Parts: sequence; structure tokens; C-alpha cells
Amino acid sequence: MQRSKRLYNSWVPWLGLLPFFIFGLAFELMPLLTTIRSSLTSKGQLTFEFYRQAMDPLFLRSFSNTLKLSTNTALLGVVFGTIVAYAIITTRNKFLQNVLIALSDVSTNFGGAPLAFAFIVILGSTGVITLLLKEIGIHLYPNFRIYSISGLTIAYLYFQLPLMILLIIPSLLGLKREWHEAAINLGASTFQYWVRVALPILFPSLLSGFLLLFANSFGAYATAWTLTGSDVDLITIRIAALIRGEVQLAPELADALSIISLLVMLACVIGYTWLSNRTRKGKA
Amino acid sequence: MKPQAVWRTSVIFVFLLFMIVPVIATFMFSISTRWDRTLWPEGLTLEWWKAVTSRGAFFLTLKNSFLASFATMLCLLALVTPTTYWMKLRVPKSKPIIEMVTTFSFGVPGVVLALALIRFYSKIPLPIINHPAILVAACMVLSLPFMYRPLVNALEAIDFRVLTEAAQSLGANGWSILTRVIIPNIMPGIINGCLLVFSTVFSEYTLTNLLVGTRFKTFPIYLVEYTRQDGRQASALAVISFVVAWITSLLIILVTSKGGQKTTHLAGR
Repeated sequence: MQRSKRLYNSWVPWLGLLPFFIFGLAFELMPLLTTIRSSLTSKGQLTFEFYRQAMDPLFLRSFSNTLKLSTNTALLGVVFGTIVAYAIITTRNKFLQNVLIALSDVSTNFGGAPLAFAFIVILGSTGVITLLLKEIGIHLYPNFRIYSISGLTIAYLYFQLPLMILLIIPSLLGLKREWHEAAINLGASTFQYWVRVALPILFPSLLSGFLLLFANSFGAYATAWTLTGSDVDLITIRIAALIRGEVQLAPELADALSIISLLVMLACVIGYTWLSNRTRKGKA
Repeated sequence: MKPQAVWRTSVIFVFLLFMIVPVIATFMFSISTRWDRTLWPEGLTLEWWKAVTSRGAFFLTLKNSFLASFATMLCLLALVTPTTYWMKLRVPKSKPIIEMVTTFSFGVPGVVLALALIRFYSKIPLPIINHPAILVAACMVLSLPFMYRPLVNALEAIDFRVLTEAAQSLGANGWSILTRVIIPNIMPGIINGCLLVFSTVFSEYTLTNLLVGTRFKTFPIYLVEYTRQDGRQASALAVISFVVAWITSLLIILVTSKGGQKTTHLAGR
């Protein structure tokens, strides 16, 4: 009697979560498992054929473009985001500080079509900045094109930069003024303080920021698609073209490409979560 | 000024310029007669705004975007509110699994989610492929964390256990505890979650494009179509998207500053 009651108590409350788990099963787990299985089977047999095909130079180029774009925007985002964040938190004008944080908050949510279009307006071949630079003798075109990887890098920074600012501000606020003073008293220069004290302390936060920014740009599609169509060869653009059936190839190939992308992104997100949990615990 | 102050001011100035110029320029572009030969617009006009808002497709796509956003919001509310409350109250052990389900979309690129849904639902006899319903389901997956986080934060901020026991001792049943005691107490979290979900779904492009395509045109789909046809009218549409995003974000800041924690979110990539 006692035992059965305990048993009852242990699993019955889980039933209340059933709708939620069914949702997760129906729209997350099952679709994903189907895709994994489909990428690994041909005519009912286990095969790595599609992964071998995914390693074709054609797709390797898409992967390397995506990796390059993600690394660049993440690196630039981390470096400039941290600098701007430091400028923001050391500003004495509280009003300006709040406005800048709010602006970052709002802009991280920008992306996709409207953002891409805004960059065409300012940096397209007849864009405002393009014309302005031409006026002072700098000809952007044809060496630079907004519809290219370097163009995309600038556009992505529009949401990467504010994201990094929001991520790093708590860690920057965690740097104690006394540490700086102690370093100076011991004869260090401000530069030495940053390189030998502050940056090593910030390192886990910078790395986790890098990983999140990397994943953020790795999985991005809408901005790139609006800005460049299929001009720029990114892996998400390739997968989307396969889904829409614009390119006639084995559907399983799209599955294999998706699973590889998924693994890359998952590794970043897991790394980010692990690092940020660690730094959070370290502070508590 | 001290060199440090100069450095700080110029960094902030450049940052502000980078963040604001694209938006201002898009707006100016949408009210210019011509602005592709000269440094300043050749003239100002409201023609493009009139043209773009006089089309039926404009209101239809706006309506579709609002529909998708509200449907996602309501379905998520119905799914997540009871679940988080029940999890906190009775099954705290389930938290890691629940959080895995909610953060699924952080680790899965939009195109991969779309592909996986198509693969699975084209195999089973459930006619939701190409139907707006699958878009709502996909948007729910995408915006789950934005509904879940504020709700959990709000629940943790109130004494939900004491409230539940008090209501129970007064004879309330589970349903009325949830709807009449818990929900009113976590309202700021609910509103915050709804706004985050709204701004995510309203600007959603990837899933819409791949799952329903032209069968259910939303505002971002319409905008991308226009960027390839008429730049000036597209700029008016882009300005509308910016304004919607700004208003929602300002509301979120307003709600969160009055209590409750904020949740950063990523949308529309």
C-alpha cells in the first residue's frame, strides 16, 4: 500500500507534462530523427554515401564560406562589441548609457529582410554611403560589393555587435576597480593590466560570446538570402535551394548537409552553455 | 577633454552612427523622388508610401503576419503556462528535459528545422504540409524559449507554493488556481513573453518561405518580393518592419523595467 502510493506519487505528476512532451516529440524530436535516419539510409540499408557526397568540393566551398563568414562576424563582433560595451559602462552620463543599452537590446532583434534592404540602400552600388565616399574620392565599387561575403559581414555586424554588447556588459561590470588599482600600485601600466589581468579574467566570457555569435551567424539565412539571393554560396542557402527543389539532387543529400550544419551549431551552443554556466557559478 | 573621454566619445559616436544610419537612410529613401545619383535626395514625395499601402496584398500580408503571430502566441500560452506551473509545483525533476525542449531552436538552424518538418510530415498522413498550421507549429518551436523564460522568471519571483496552498485550503480546484490565482500574479511575465513571441514571429522569414512559401504570404515575404521589384516601395515596407520591431521592443523594455527580468532574444535571422 505504502509502496504503491510512493510509486503513484513518483510518476503520476509527470502526466501533467504530457501535452508539452508530445509537442516536443511531434515537432522537434521525431522530425529530427526522421532526417537523421533518412540521411543514413538508402533503400533500407545503412549507408554513409550521402555524407560522402556532402564532402564534394562544391559543398565544402559552401561550408568554408559559411565558416569564414561566421568566424569573421563573430571575431569582429567580440572585439568591437567589447570595446563599445566598455565605453558604454564607463560613461558617466546615465541617460546616454540607458539609451545605448536599450538601442542594443532593440537592434539584436533586427535582422532578416528589412536589415538586408537597409544595407542595400546605404552600401549598394548607388547607395548613400557609396555616393558619399565617391564624392571624397573613394570608389567602393567594383572592388567591394554589398552582395558579397564582405558585404554580408557588415550587415551581420548590425545584429552581432549589439548581441556581444549585451552579453559582455555583466562580465565587464564584474571587473573590480580595486584590481586595476592594485595592478597600477604594483607598477603595471594600464596596458599591462588589460593584457595580464583583465583579459584573462574575461576570457571565458569572450569565448562563450564568440561561440554564441558564431552559431548566430552560422544558422542565419534570411539576411543573406535577401541581400545576395543565391550569389553568395552559404550552406543554409544551399539547403534552402534543395528544399525548394531549385536544384535536382537526392533529397537525402540535403538531409546529410543539414545534419552536418546541425552538429556544428550544436557544438557551439553546448560550448556556450557550458562556459556561461561556469562563469555564472564562478561569480556566485 | 581628457584623452580617455575623447576615446570613449568617439567609440560611442561611431557605434551610434553604425546603428542609426541604415534606418534613417531607409526612411529617407522611401520618401525621396530619386536618390541614386546625388548626395542628397533630389526631392521628397509620399508617392511610394501611397503606392505601397494602396495594394490589397499589403493589408493581406500584414493581416497574415498578425494572424500567425497571435496564433503562435495563444498556442504557446496554452501549452507553456500550465506546463511551467506544474513543473515548478510538482515535477521539479523534469526541468532539464523541459529546458532541452524549449531551447531546441537555439541549436537548430531555421533551414534545418524546416527541412526536418517537411521530411517527417510528408511521410505521415496528416495534411498539415503547406498549411499555415505547420508554420504556427514551427514558429512555436522557434519562439518557445521566449515564452518559457519570462514565465519561469515570473513564477520564481512569486510565492507560487504558498499561493497554491492558500487557494487549495479555500477549496479552489486546479483549474481555478491556475487561472484565478497564478496567472494574474505572473501577468508581467506573460505580457513580456507574448511581446517577445510577437516580434519573433512577425519578422519570421526563413520558416515561412520554406514551409508555406507563397501559399500564405506574410509581411516579410512580401517585403523580400518587393526588394527585387521596386526598391523605393520596398524601403517603405522595411521602415514599417523597423517601426513594428521598435514599438514591440520599447513595450518590452517598458514591461520589464516595471518588474520581471528581461530576456534577450534573437529573431528574424
